[in-house]
Amino acid sequence: MRPYELMVIFDPELDDRQVGPTMEKFLGVVKTDGGSVDNIDVWGRRRLAYPIKKKDEGSYVVTNFTALPATAKELDRQLGLSELVMRTKLLRADA
Amino acid sequence: MAKPVVRRPKKKANPLKSAKIENIDYKDAALLRKFISDRGKIRARRVTGVSVQEQRLIAQAVKNAREMALLPYSSSSR
Repeated sequence: MRPYELMVIFDPELDDRQVGPTMEKFLGVVKTDGGSVDNIDVWGRRRLAYPIKKKDEGSYVVTNFTALPATAKELDRQLGLSELVMRTKLLRADA
Repeated sequence: MAKPVVRRPKKKANPLKSAKIENIDYKDAALLRKFISDRGKIRARRVTGVSVQEQRLIAQAVKNAREMALLPYSSSSR
């Protein structure tokens, strides 16, 4: 098990109130594989420094969780498949 | 023969130490903005005055921040 930090930028078309629950839904895979979610920090809407997918805004979420490397990789893959996710960054929190 | 001029540039104060910052985080865009020029380029160590190890961490943090659109890749294009 390793600690990870994950930042996700959601599409601004996703309703602000839905951002937290959506993130929790994605993090379900961590719990089912025996990991734990330590923190979910919803930053809210922010202006992007440059447009992504022709959009100037994004909803930022930062989460900390502990999971097996394979689980973390799978979570990142699933996020990448979603249309609502514009960018992700998965980093080891201890490195 | 003329003696070569020895330059001794004044050593800059480490800006991280004076601001009491211990770990450099890519999420702290306000801090990283101090280490990029107004065109968005990473400032050289001789300008910033940080240590080699810190400069490496700053460069990596700026690149991570750029990927997440917290900092621009370039700005004020001409």
